[in-house]
Formats: sequence, structure tokens, C-alpha cells
Amino acid sequence: MPFVKKPQVFSAKINELTLGTGDQAVTLGGQNVYNLYAFDGEIANRPKIGIDVSDDPEQPSEGLKAFYAGCDTLAQRAAKAAELEDVDFVCIRFDMADPNGANKSIEDCVADAKAVAEAVSKPIVVAGCKNAEKDADLFSKVSEALQGKNILVLSAKEENYKGIAAGAGLAYGQKVGAESAVDINLAKQLNVLITQMGVDGHNVAMNIGSAAAGYGFEYVVSTLERVKAAALSQNDTTLQMPIITPVGVETWGVKESTAPESENPGWGDAEERGVDMEVETAAACLAYGSDAVILKHPESIKTIARLVAALM
Amino acid sequence: MALKGLDIFKLTPKTNCKDCGNPTCMAFAMKVASGALSIDKCPHMSPEALATLSEATAPPMKSYKVGELSLGGETVLSRHEKTLVSKTLYAVQVCDCMDEAKQDAVLAAIPNVDYERISERMYVEMIYVRHSADKTPADYAALVAKAKALGRPLVLSCTDLEAAKAGVEAASGVPFILNGATADNYADMSALAKGAKALLGVRAESLEALHQVVEKLEAAGNKDLILDVGEASIKDAYANAVQIRRAALKDGDRTFGYPSIVNVAGLAGGDAHLEAALLSLFTCKYGSIVVCSEMTYAKALPLYGLRQNIFTDPQKPMKVAPGIYPINGADENSPCCLTVDFALTYFLVSGELERSKMPVNLLITDASGMSVLTAWAAGKFSSSSIKKFFDEFDINNKIKSRALIIPGKVAVMKGEIQEKLPEWSVIVGTTEAVQLVKYLRDEEWKKSYVDKSAAAAAPAEGQAAAEAAPAPKAVMPAPPIVVTGPYKLEDKEVTYKGHDPASKTFVTIGERIHCISPAIRKAMDSYDEGPILKRAAEQIAAGATYLDVNIGPAESNGPELMKWAVQLLQQNFNNVPLALDTANQKAIEAGISVYNRTNGKPIVNSADAGSRISNIDLAAANDAIVIALCSADGIAKDNEERMMHCHNMLERGLSHGMESDDLWFDPLFLVVKGMQDKQMDVLNAIRLFSDEGLKSTGGLSNNSNGMPKHIRPIMDSAMVAMAMMQGLTSAIVNPCDLRLMETIKSCDIIKNHNLYADSYLEI
Repeated sequence: MPFVKKPQVFSAKINELTLGTGDQAVTLGGQNVYNLYAFDGEIANRPKIGIDVSDDPEQPSEGLKAFYAGCDTLAQRAAKAAELEDVDFVCIRFDMADPNGANKSIEDCVADAKAVAEAVSKPIVVAGCKNAEKDADLFSKVSEALQGKNILVLSAKEENYKGIAAGAGLAYGQKVGAESAVDINLAKQLNVLITQMGVDGHNVAMNIGSAAAGYGFEYVVSTLERVKAAALSQNDTTLQMPIITPVGVETWGVKESTAPESENPGWGDAEERGVDMEVETAAACLAYGSDAVILKHPESIKTIARLVAALM
Repeated sequence: MALKGLDIFKLTPKTNCKDCGNPTCMAFAMKVASGALSIDKCPHMSPEALATLSEATAPPMKSYKVGELSLGGETVLSRHEKTLVSKTLYAVQVCDCMDEAKQDAVLAAIPNVDYERISERMYVEMIYVRHSADKTPADYAALVAKAKALGRPLVLSCTDLEAAKAGVEAASGVPFILNGATADNYADMSALAKGAKALLGVRAESLEALHQVVEKLEAAGNKDLILDVGEASIKDAYANAVQIRRAALKDGDRTFGYPSIVNVAGLAGGDAHLEAALLSLFTCKYGSIVVCSEMTYAKALPLYGLRQNIFTDPQKPMKVAPGIYPINGADENSPCCLTVDFALTYFLVSGELERSKMPVNLLITDASGMSVLTAWAAGKFSSSSIKKFFDEFDINNKIKSRALIIPGKVAVMKGEIQEKLPEWSVIVGTTEAVQLVKYLRDEEWKKSYVDKSAAAAAPAEGQAAAEAAPAPKAVMPAPPIVVTGPYKLEDKEVTYKGHDPASKTFVTIGERIHCISPAIRKAMDSYDEGPILKRAAEQIAAGATYLDVNIGPAESNGPELMKWAVQLLQQNFNNVPLALDTANQKAIEAGISVYNRTNGKPIVNSADAGSRISNIDLAAANDAIVIALCSADGIAKDNEERMMHCHNMLERGLSHGMESDDLWFDPLFLVVKGMQDKQMDVLNAIRLFSDEGLKSTGGLSNNSNGMPKHIRPIMDSAMVAMAMMQGLTSAIVNPCDLRLMETIKSCDIIKNHNLYADSYLEI
């Protein structure tokens, strides 16, 4: 019997979510085939790549230090990051706002965000400090300050979704990220709760959790696969939000990426290790279902962009 | 793909001759479909029908061994459906087109990456030896001979017949794959591969052409193949890798039911980072062998970790090897933190320890890959297992520090550990890993540290000192049980109504007396009757048939404690029948020795088909019922495995003289949040037990674990109704869940186990 291709095209599709405005706007999602399966049908929007820029000037590698050399402020770093051709959006991260850390004030964060919005024309994603209470407040204030910029706040969690959905989502019309930690049931529940608050499901993106390759990544794999299967094959509208996965923040924290060569002489240059850890983790996320990944290193971004282009 | 009974029926002679011992061909076909009979029991099947059947029942993807390495044999596309069985193998490419210095450099670098991660050796498993058209067979043979010297299996990539012959000859002695069949040369290449007993790699211009060549090879009798996805472009290679695997596993196309080979060295075009990305991509989907130009630690560290994650059995916990893990440059004088070998626990704890920047020795004990509390409750993380670990690994000599920090969640073990390791100062640490950073940085543990060296040295000073040393702590004797009258719960007398062991009604085993509950743990620690009697009374008032008594591992006083608990409960509540639940066998035996059987035999909770199988012998020797968990090491992957465990345990029980009614099989109820797609498997297992006339039970409410309180009764009720429909005869439940108990009573009515009356719920 001759081989006949059986393309797996679904009647359901992932929601399209547009970030930013004007000709720099980017659209996530939209496809009715599994991620990267261009052989099954046209991919409506290729997977997107964001760059992660923290308000903390410390960099995890020499290469990143060199890349941001001369940039003193978050806005300067964000502008430098946005210049990279392969960057679709800039994700600014307010690590310093953590009340258990530097506890930077909301006002200072808002001022930073405004400066970034002036310096950068690419779409902006705003990540918080992981403190649920502070983030809720932070996202609301930044959303207000950047009204009309069509930003995405990353993200609302079970503990603080109400304030974020009401503030960022309803009051200021920004896009809302829904974050769960590799728990498909919670991912669905959070989307239900946020839409029950009145936020249109088409204005929601999911962060279903992330890990560096080798660090419990199997949970990320299965959650991504099961979310995409439910969204497409079961037409589960509560899981059709595009998935955005912060990869760099995970991979640049593990010892394979950061341990100096002197600790493990056989391992070779730390920069190379850091980039490969980021690249391999990102490639796996894209293979299993992420519609966008957020990376830190320019070399990783270039590589993943090449990979995505080659697969389209 | 499994055939349905009707498909098999169509292939039978349909004569109803009864030669197979079945009344009709239909009945025979149904039994074949269920696996109860093999097709050759019918003497009249035509050879064509048999061939069709064997084709249909063959696995969807061939599996092979190349040396020690496994290839293929997958049955699913995603790891969460069932385990992926053969991990991706990595090869480094060397080509006769390279100059000799380059060849030598490539080969010399191959052994560089070689390390262990979570008990798995990480290295380049194979060498891909490529022939270039402008080189001679002799050039190729020379290169193969050099590559062979590394002693690893080879892949000979060569479409030129003469060069392939030379290569095959040169490779003799190591296992290899001959990747060289094309539409033009397949007959000769196949003969060459067959002669050398090697797998044959096949390549073609397109998937359609590849399919044709494979069909021709199969027709010629070669089914030992591996499919090359090609090097035309990244896009095509990926499309081919996915579509080949999907055709085989999803669409049942056996012509593509072979492992795959992907060469990313060419696809990456010299970009090392892109090559890393491609290695990752094709590990995810669906390279059986992935070939690269060079394996560096930069590529390998994430790649092998990723592979280990993807190819772990989702039903079995990942374990790290027990041992001493020095962190932040810890030496023999650094304090020790103790925990279990569950990989996630290890990563979590070691990560936090690293963040603390304090030197600490992390001690990992063998706990069968369970988390701290689960392992403790199952008796896998106990003072004995810890003592055994200390002896096996010679910790007392390897480490000079005597500070031993144990997880806060098992604070209750402190005394027992202290007794077994008297020279150590056992310190109760934090309950969560995240609290460790502060705990260590602020040296909070030092507040609880007691220097034992003086006490240990004291006896050496003389007889008097030795006598003065405190005697080992005696087991606290259980207080006598005094029953002063019927137990009252909020002024209402609670009496156990009795139970007829021959009754067919559903048996509920109340789960609320469990030492994982802090109140019960504390009560058992101090022989405090109050909390235990209260929970017993609540469950009896709610209609529980049996009560489960979980005393934890109770290493120091198990027999004493179990005897006390059995007598306490039976004397207060009209000999309520009990399930004795502990990993401590002596405690179970002691409990049974004082047990009153008026309302039914004692239940031993529980045996499994693995390390706890001897609890079946224990039940047999004591004429008790035993709950038999159909699992060995982790959750059974399918019902075939569940039934295998079931039959093993049944056989063991029967051989020890047990009645089959006294083995209650537990399919292991699984959490919906997490294992939603496995729920029907569990229910079908219950049907399989019941079809064989076996009794069943299990921790049914596990299905609703993690759900909101108001949902759980609804979910549990639905589960129990469906399970009772399948033939479940008992369950370990919370009897205080009214909705659940009412559902059970209603199901008993519908099953005609109990005569209906309007007040049936109140009886």
C-alpha cells in the first residue's frame, strides 16, 4: 500500500493574541495544527521570541555583561535588547521589586516602565518579582501608566488573579498572563476564573510553568502536550490561549549554565554551556507546544530564530 | 493495534464446530480478543487468516538491540500516555572525506563526555562512520577500523556497495548498523546486512519513495530495518521524523514501524548552537539515533538531562543514588542534612542548600523514590533504614561532624533515630526546603545541637561512669484499657451494629485513624485514648463496616501499640472488625493475637507484588484477609501488568492455603488531577478482578485528592458508583462523607444486595 500523508488539521484553533501596536505589533497563536507541524497545515503565526531584561543590572554571564556594557538603566538595556533583529518583544522583569529583596517601590517601577515604553517600540511584556501581593499592585499601576501600549502582564496566579484581571485586564485593557506551575488542571481553572471576572479569553496568554532541561522538565513536556491536545483535539476553549514560556530565567539559574570553568575544567566555557542550556530547553518547549519563549542571551535568540525559520 | 472480537470473528470459519471447546465461533473470538485464549486453539483457521491476525497483533514498532543498546518498541507518541521505552541514542559523525588529522581529532574527542547523572551513564553511545563518494573502499575500511577501536557500536553510512562490503568487513567484532539501502541498491545492501546480521538503514528522496523501498525490502524478507529521515533540510527531516512515527503508532502503518535515524551534523551547517537546538528537537520528536558533528559538555549537559526527563517512566519516580553529596565545598566537619532519594526532593533540597552557600553534606537514603512523608508512612524512611544507610556507607568514619538535620515533617522519628545513632545529635530541621536557606545561613540548627562526644567518651573513664550512663530508653508500656460503659459522642451512645462476613453488601473500611494525621500521631505517641476513640465513634456512627488502624512504622513499640489499639477499639465498640495498617509485621501479628473475630477476620493492610509480598504469607499464617496492591515498584503501567501482579499474589496466597475470598485486590486508585487519562484503566481492572470472581478494594478517595472540599464527595460518589458497577466489593473511605455513604447504600440496593425500604438510607 503506498504511503498517503494524513495531515492532522483540527477544526479548533489556538486563539490569536496580539501584543503591542502599529507595525511592530506581534501576534501569538492562531494555528490549527500542532506546534511546528508545518507539514500538516499552514502555521498561522510562527512561534515568537521575547528577550528577558531584568531591572537588576547583575548579569548571569560575561557575554551578557559585555552585551549590556554601557547601559545603566533598565530602559537603556531594554532598548539595546530590542535592537536585536530576532527579538519579537521585550520582557522587562522587576526582580528588584521583591519585598524580601531590594523592595523597589511601585513608583520607581512605573517610572522605569514608562522610560522603557519611550525607548522601545517593540511590544512590551511586564514580569513581576514573584511576590503575589506586590505583583498585583505593580501590574495594575504599570498597566495604567502604559495604557494603549497593549502590553502583557506576566502573570496572574491563583493567589492574585482577581486584582490583576480587574486592574490590568478590565480597567486598563491590557493582556493578562495566567500562570500555573505544571498543573494542567490549575491552568484550566485559572483561565476559567479570569474569564469569569469578565476578561475576554482572547486577551489571555498562559504560562503553564517552566524548568531547565534535566530539572523536572518532564512535567513541562506533559503539561504542554496535554494542554495543546485538549485545546485542539477536544476543542476545549478554556485552554486555547497561546502559551508563553519564560525559559531564560530558569536556565540561567542552574549550575550547568553558571558554574565557572575552574570548578569543572572538563565542562569548558561557561558562556557556551549557558547558551546551549537555554537553546536546548527552548527548542524542547517549542517542540511540545509553547507559542512564544522568552530568552536572555542574544546568541540563543539568534539560534532559536534560525531554528524556527528553518521549520516554517 | 489490538483487534476487536468482531474483527477476529470475521476471520474464523464461522462453523460453530465446538472443536475449540467454545459453544460458538463468536464466543471463541471474544475470548481471543480478551487474551483469554490463543488463536491456535481453533484447528480450522486458514493460514491467511492466521497471517492477518499475527500482523494485526504484532507491536506497531519493531524493537531491536544493537549490542547492549535498545532501539524502537514505542507504542505511544507522548510520554504521558504510557512510558516511552527506548531513549534516543547519540552518535558522533566521522567521515572518510576528512583528512586524517581531523578524523583522529574527532575520534579522540568522543570519550571526553562521559559522566553519571541520576544513576545513568551519559556518553556518546555510537559512532557514525560516513563514506564519501570520492573515496575508495580501502579509505573507508581504514576509517571504520579506527572508529572500531573505541569499542562502541557503529553506524556505517555508505550507499556504495563495494565500500559497504569493505566497511562491514572492517567493522566485524563490534555491533553495527549498515545505513545504506536506497531504491537502487536495496537488494544487494539487504543481502550484505543480512549476512552480517546487522540492522539495515534505508533512505529515499521522499516519504512515499521510502515507503516503497521498505515495502520491497519486507517483501524480500528483511524486516530488520531503521529509517533515515534524510538530510535535505531541517524542515523535511523534521516532517519525516514526525510523520514516520505518527504513521506507525497512530495510523497503524507497519511499513513505517521502525526506529529512525537523524543526522543533524549536516543540517546544522557548522553552527554549534543550532546543532544543540536540533539535538534537542529530535530528542523530543522522534529520533531513535541522532547524529551530531561533535559532543561537548555544553551540548551534553542539557541534552542528556532532557533525555533523562523525557524517557523516565511517568508511573515510576525518578531516584537518585543513595550516598553523601557534599555541597558548597562541604568536608567531613560540615553538618549533615538527611533526606530521601526521590529525585524531585533531591533537586529541591540540594538547590536550596546550594543557595544557602553554607557547606553541608547532603545524605540521601534509599526510600524507593518516595517523598519524605509517603516514604515514612510506608516504612521506607525509618530509623532502621537510616541506621542501615549509615552502616552501609560508613558515615560515622567518613564524616566527623555529628550534627544530623532531619526533615521537619518527620520530627516524630527524632527519638528513634537518636536511639539508633547515639553518637549523633539529631536535629529537627525545616518542614519545607525553601526554609533551608535562612535556617542554615542563620545557623539556626546550632540552637538544637547537643554535643554527644562527652557522653560517648564517658564510659571509657571507668566502670562507675558506665553504670551512671542512662540505660537505653525502655519502650513505654501501654496503659491498661478500662471500658466504663458505652462510648458517647455528643451524648449519643455509639455502638457497632455487627457485620456478617458472608454478606454481599459493600464493605467500607474507615480510613480516619491514620498516623499521617497529626492529632492521631500525637495520640498514639502517648497512648492517649481520647482522639482515637472519638474518630472511631464518628466513623462507626456514620456506618463504617471496618476501621483501618494505621500506626505508622512504629519501629520501637509497634507490637505494644497495635495490641493496645486493637483492644481499645474492639472493647469499646462491640468487637468492630479492623484493618491493621503498618509496615511493621511484628505489630500486625501482635494485633491479630488479641483480635476478636466475631464480626469478621482481621485485614492485613497491605501486601503488594514487590517488597511487601510477604504480608500475604503473614495473612495466610494468621487466617486473616489481606489487601493485595496490584503493583510492585510504582504504579502498574497497564492492566496487563496489574493482572500479572494480581495473579502472582493470588497464586502465592492459594499456595499458602488461603481462600481466594481472603485476598482483596487493590487496583490502586489514581488521582484525577494528574492521571485523568488512567481512570478508566483502574475501573476496567476492577471488572477484570470481578470477572474472575475476586474481591477488590482500594483507597477510592485518592481519585479526588487535591480537589476542593465541596467537590470531593461528588467525585468520590461518582467513582464509587462506577466502581461498584464494575464489581468493586469494598473501599477504604472516609465514612463521614455522607454523600458517599448514601451513594454506596443506593448502589447496594440497585445491585440487589439489600432489600429496599423507604428508609434504606437510615438503616
